[in-house]
Amino acid sequence: MKGKVIVITSGKGGVGKTTTTANLGTALAMMGQKVVLVDTDIGLRNLDVVMGLENRIVFDIVDLVNGHCKLKQALIRDKRFEGMSLLPAAQTKDKSSVTPHQMKNLTNELRKQYDFILVDCPAGIEQGFRNAIAGADDAIVVATPEVSSVRDADRIIGLLEAAGLSRARLIINRMRQSMVKRGDMMDIDDIIDILSIDLLGVVPEDELIIVSTNKGEPAVLETNSRAGGAYRRIARRIMGEEVALLDPNDNNSFMNRFKKIIKLAR
Amino acid sequence: MSTTLRRANGELWLDLSGEKTFAAIKRSLAVQINTLDDYMLGAFVCLNVGTKQLTNKQVREIEDILLDHGLHLREIMSCPHQSDAAYPDKLVLEGMPEYGETLLLCRNLRSGQKISSNGNVVILGDINPGAEVVARGNILVMGSLRGIAHAGAGGDETAVVAAFRLNPTQIRIANHITRPPDGEVVTDRDPEVARIRDGKVIIDNLKI
Repeated sequence: MKGKVIVITSGKGGVGKTTTTANLGTALAMMGQKVVLVDTDIGLRNLDVVMGLENRIVFDIVDLVNGHCKLKQALIRDKRFEGMSLLPAAQTKDKSSVTPHQMKNLTNELRKQYDFILVDCPAGIEQGFRNAIAGADDAIVVATPEVSSVRDADRIIGLLEAAGLSRARLIINRMRQSMVKRGDMMDIDDIIDILSIDLLGVVPEDELIIVSTNKGEPAVLETNSRAGGAYRRIARRIMGEEVALLDPNDNNSFMNRFKKIIKLAR
Repeated sequence: MSTTLRRANGELWLDLSGEKTFAAIKRSLAVQINTLDDYMLGAFVCLNVGTKQLTNKQVREIEDILLDHGLHLREIMSCPHQSDAAYPDKLVLEGMPEYGETLLLCRNLRSGQKISSNGNVVILGDINPGAEVVARGNILVMGSLRGIAHAGAGGDETAVVAAFRLNPTQIRIANHITRPPDGEVVTDRDPEVARIRDGKVIIDNLKI
């Protein structure tokens, strides 16, 4: 068993689990890794849309675990990267159509063929969550700098620990440095102080994410997307490289360089 | 097995540590109580149940048995069977009751997690918002207390909640419930302790 199964979870909905899965998967594929993205949000599938692969779905995860199709038939090859595939969720079934045991078998099967198996977890802490974490070796918790999101992340980390995934790492998404500076948003230290887990990366708020999601083209493919750049750095960190956290200040902007010259910026 | 009954400082000490099952504990408890004089009515009882861990339901059953005889349960001690000489003469130490068992927890308590104990609780870590600690005795947090702490859950108003950073959602001591004032700005403060004084929960700096 060589592949690594990483579940991407958050507890709260709408914080960017699916966007993170799509972008990290694409960034890892760009680095030449063999990646499969597994959407476990049965009934509310999104990952295929974000990846721009919706119109290619024939079979889904429920068909696969119930033996209605072969693994090869259910996996959708990505249109940009040869080494990346998507296993879509079913839209017409619900979370109870798959059991944690079936998920474990499935991820073990995928391990043989891929370097990274990224599991996109649904919001909530019920059956869908239990399915998603069943076969995982590692967990990435996504949180936004909001009290409600951090609260849910804390709950999720507790549940992950109880399930034996004690080395979960954190991605802080949609960080707005200007608001932090004004004292209107929790900063990284506040969040780490409460959650006390390792920080994997910080992704700045970026309008391009919405554009790229709507187009079905992950933002990491855009060289000028700040969020995309952050995801590329996170992917390198997952690969074990030592990469400095992205400074969401965007220190290379013209004004900052100008301020640096006159010693206004730190 | 023989059971022993002692009276000290107006309290009854009952050693049932020799009993092997909960049923046997209940049986000898009933036998011992029936030998009591009426003037012990209203007394507090400390039970030593030896190495056994009683569930909350079992503790409640014992409480009910005692209440039927006009007695109150002060404490259930869990410690190995020992000779009579080992009992302390004084239960109350400087106004703070001593509880036989102390639970030491070396991790953070996260949202949705709850622990309860029949004695004191010491936590080497944080209690996050949404987490809850309930203790019949005192609670000491060697970290940030951001969740709910309930000390003296058995009704003991002398129990305290102490924390390195006392920043709770709510503090409950015995049957008092308090919360921080609305709009309070959280700043880094020294270790603090919450206790009941004159019927109110007050917060003091922790001095040792």
